[in-house]
Amino acid sequence: MGDPKEITTLQATTILISTIIGVGVLPLPLFAVRAGETSAPFVTLTGILLAAIGLMILTYLGMRHPKKTIITYSQDIIGKWLGKLFSIFVIFFFVILTSLAAREFGAVVVTAVLRETPLEVTVIVMLLLASISCRNNINVFSYIHNFYVPMILAPVLIVVAFSLKNANSLYLRPIFSGNDIRDMAAGMLTISALFQGSFIITMIIPSMKSPKKALKASFWGILVSGGLYLLIVIATVAIFGPEEIKQIFWPTLELARTTAIPGNILQRLDIIFLAVWVLAVFTTLFSSYYFSIHSIKELLGLKDHKMLSYFILPFVFFLAMLPQNILHMYEIIQYIGRAGLLITIMYPAFLLIIDFLRSWRKKKNVAKSS
Amino acid sequence: MSLFRTKKRSIKKPQLLTPSKLGEEKGSTPTSSSLIETEKAVKEILGVNGDLQIKHFKVFGQFSAASVYLSSLVNQDVINQDILKPLMYEPEHLMGREKTLNNLINLIITETLYHSQAKTDANIDELIGGLLLGETVIIIDGVKEAIHIDTRKVEKRAIAQPETEQVILGPREGFIENISTNISLLRYRLPTPDFQVKTLKIGRLTKSTVAICYLKGIANETVIKEVEKRLSEIDIDAILDVGYLEQFIEDNPFSPFPQTQSTERPDKTVANLIEGRVAILVDGSPFSLVVPVVFNQFYQTTEDYSSRFLMGSFVRLARMLALVFSLIFPSLYVSLISFNPELLPTEFAVAVAGGRAGVPYPAVIEVLIIEVSMEILREATVRLPKQVGGALSIVGVLVIGQAAVEAGLASPITVVVIALTTIGSFATPTYTAAFALRMLRFPIMILSGIFGLYGIMVGVIFIFNHMLSLKSFGVPYMAPVSPENYQGMKDVIIRSPLWWMPKRPGFLQPSNQNRLSKNANKILEHNKVGNDQREDTTNGGSKGDHNTSSNDNLN
Repeated sequence: MGDPKEITTLQATTILISTIIGVGVLPLPLFAVRAGETSAPFVTLTGILLAAIGLMILTYLGMRHPKKTIITYSQDIIGKWLGKLFSIFVIFFFVILTSLAAREFGAVVVTAVLRETPLEVTVIVMLLLASISCRNNINVFSYIHNFYVPMILAPVLIVVAFSLKNANSLYLRPIFSGNDIRDMAAGMLTISALFQGSFIITMIIPSMKSPKKALKASFWGILVSGGLYLLIVIATVAIFGPEEIKQIFWPTLELARTTAIPGNILQRLDIIFLAVWVLAVFTTLFSSYYFSIHSIKELLGLKDHKMLSYFILPFVFFLAMLPQNILHMYEIIQYIGRAGLLITIMYPAFLLIIDFLRSWRKKKNVAKSS
Repeated sequence: MSLFRTKKRSIKKPQLLTPSKLGEEKGSTPTSSSLIETEKAVKEILGVNGDLQIKHFKVFGQFSAASVYLSSLVNQDVINQDILKPLMYEPEHLMGREKTLNNLINLIITETLYHSQAKTDANIDELIGGLLLGETVIIIDGVKEAIHIDTRKVEKRAIAQPETEQVILGPREGFIENISTNISLLRYRLPTPDFQVKTLKIGRLTKSTVAICYLKGIANETVIKEVEKRLSEIDIDAILDVGYLEQFIEDNPFSPFPQTQSTERPDKTVANLIEGRVAILVDGSPFSLVVPVVFNQFYQTTEDYSSRFLMGSFVRLARMLALVFSLIFPSLYVSLISFNPELLPTEFAVAVAGGRAGVPYPAVIEVLIIEVSMEILREATVRLPKQVGGALSIVGVLVIGQAAVEAGLASPITVVVIALTTIGSFATPTYTAAFALRMLRFPIMILSGIFGLYGIMVGVIFIFNHMLSLKSFGVPYMAPVSPENYQGMKDVIIRSPLWWMPKRPGFLQPSNQNRLSKNANKILEHNKVGNDQREDTTNGGSKGDHNTSSNDNLN
């Protein structure tokens, strides 16, 4: 913990943005459309709102304990052993999240670009890249995120902007189609699960220059990333229509494929889009990987996390190889994602309530004694 | 046994000034008062040298003395005119005054010698050291102290245009090897007491003078201290160039990226000092070392600032493009050809395929072969004498390139790609930074041969992550982009107008940030022709005297 507290509000915001935007960009419209047909944008919006609430709870909790991460303050709030037990769940969840992101990435690369390369190779290369980069301190972590954010946002915005000329606003109506409400709720959960990377804020707050501004950072973080997600869903649905999207695995990639830059410099944009998307995946992987080893470090009370970075690599790789195929993988991703909301939203909410109760009781005691 | 003993001794005395046995034996024995004995001691140590000159004479005709110097290092005229003449030919104002051995030294230094740098010392070690630095030593029989007079004169070349950093607009002076000339070039541009030069000697054999230059009150104190600390920890036999120091003081020696900037230009050094950096000069090196550095410095030149901001910005954009070219252009080509030809417009893809028809190798191998031969050619051109160089480049570029294409070794487009890459790497103004990208090109090329565009991205991410984790004397390498710094950002991609940048770059944490006075940024206003609104402004800019149309009250 010897690093100086240097992370600025802007850096915290960019960390959130680049962590949230990740592998999920590609299948996002599919998830939304499956849940809500033409009301996909609405489903996305509710998902974003749910994620925002979760993030606000986390941030608020972090600001009440500005010197500690969730691993350490949970031990203060609900007791040492219970706190440790829950922290193990959190860490395990993030290790799974890392491995699933790596696997999903590998699946996309193997299907769309490198058809003859074994899946294992692409996954291990990405994990190696993340694990080597994780050997830096948390300030460098924030520099890395800060640096990549414009490069992550730009290609998505360009693709959306150029593709909108083919848009058909009829595909977006009715905004509230009378769909099965349970389907929509499930879709909402799946979409807000895509925002689980925002859990990273608990690790950032203790290293921020002014932890009081964390709320501002998370607000902007969720606004930009959520806005981008919403934009992608609107654009894809407006261009392909809900029925066609259901046939496509990665509608966003398809969106890039149909887009052409004026002037015919490059025939297709999807490969370039995928290349830049590697960046987005890297930052997400990097965040969850870093969060995992940083949390293990905190849990075990170690001084340095560098050694752990290679240590958990085999586990992550093993977990990444567990799903048998793409369909199985997406089933697991949706399932884990929804279950993960228990950890990323319910658990912090539970902590916050207990924390409130404790401080309320303390205040009462103080009032009584005086 | 003896070997063991010497080893032990050297461990005991880690701060041995000179490894020479001669100097070590004499150590710090005081000079004897006897002229003959001192002379013997000097001859014992330096006697074999043909340029050791000992001349006996009588001071004021009474006291026997000797002048000792190394004729190769001294200015003979000074010795004759300013030292020997007044000593042998008793000056008028001393006529008839009582001269004893006791007051002789004082008399000589204060009233006789016409030389500003004279001091006394009573130590053989110092005496020898002084001789080797070009001092003339006067030993007087019966006096323990010897008089050291600085008569050093070493041949130096004239100040010339810097060879490696040429500019179209801007000063033409470059540093030379002599450190005092170099410092004078800096002082000439910075006539302020804030400009401070600290010197120290590094190198057990070379005893090179190292100067740490900075602007007090602007440079960050901790950086200055850190520079001093890192320099003082160096214990090496020889410092022949500033590059030796660079390797000892940089933060990450295994990084391909330079973490200090060496420049031949005094104006560039001064500009860096003013931004709050610290410059290190070494006697014998025509380069100054500037720390701390950030990456964007390596594609900036002084010319960007002396030319108008549109020109500067345009050139800088071109340079950045060249930088990107020199890093990934060949790998981009490889991955497009071998993995994603569908990205290319159809006509072009067909042309490329036609060009490659006779080439037996995969694109990676082809590009690697040409790239390696390009490196060899480039290295050869640097070493060749100037007259032959032109011929070789013609042979290399035209003949070999043409022949390679005709022989089916390479496709014409490969040659074009490699040529563009090479030219791109020449557009980077700093040699060391260009070299880093030149080296990194190869791993990326191999990655792109295996993984295509994905490989390039992985390589680029890896390089960027490495750059983002670097620090130069506490300053993050990719500042001001990340960590972000608004003031510094104005000078990264374009070169903003000078009045847009009223502060010094904050990422260097200078003690004093203000560059422009507050009123001075109204430059645009008083440029308007016939401007009446200027009458009551009392801003720091020019009063408009250059603008005759409003002064003469013609309207």
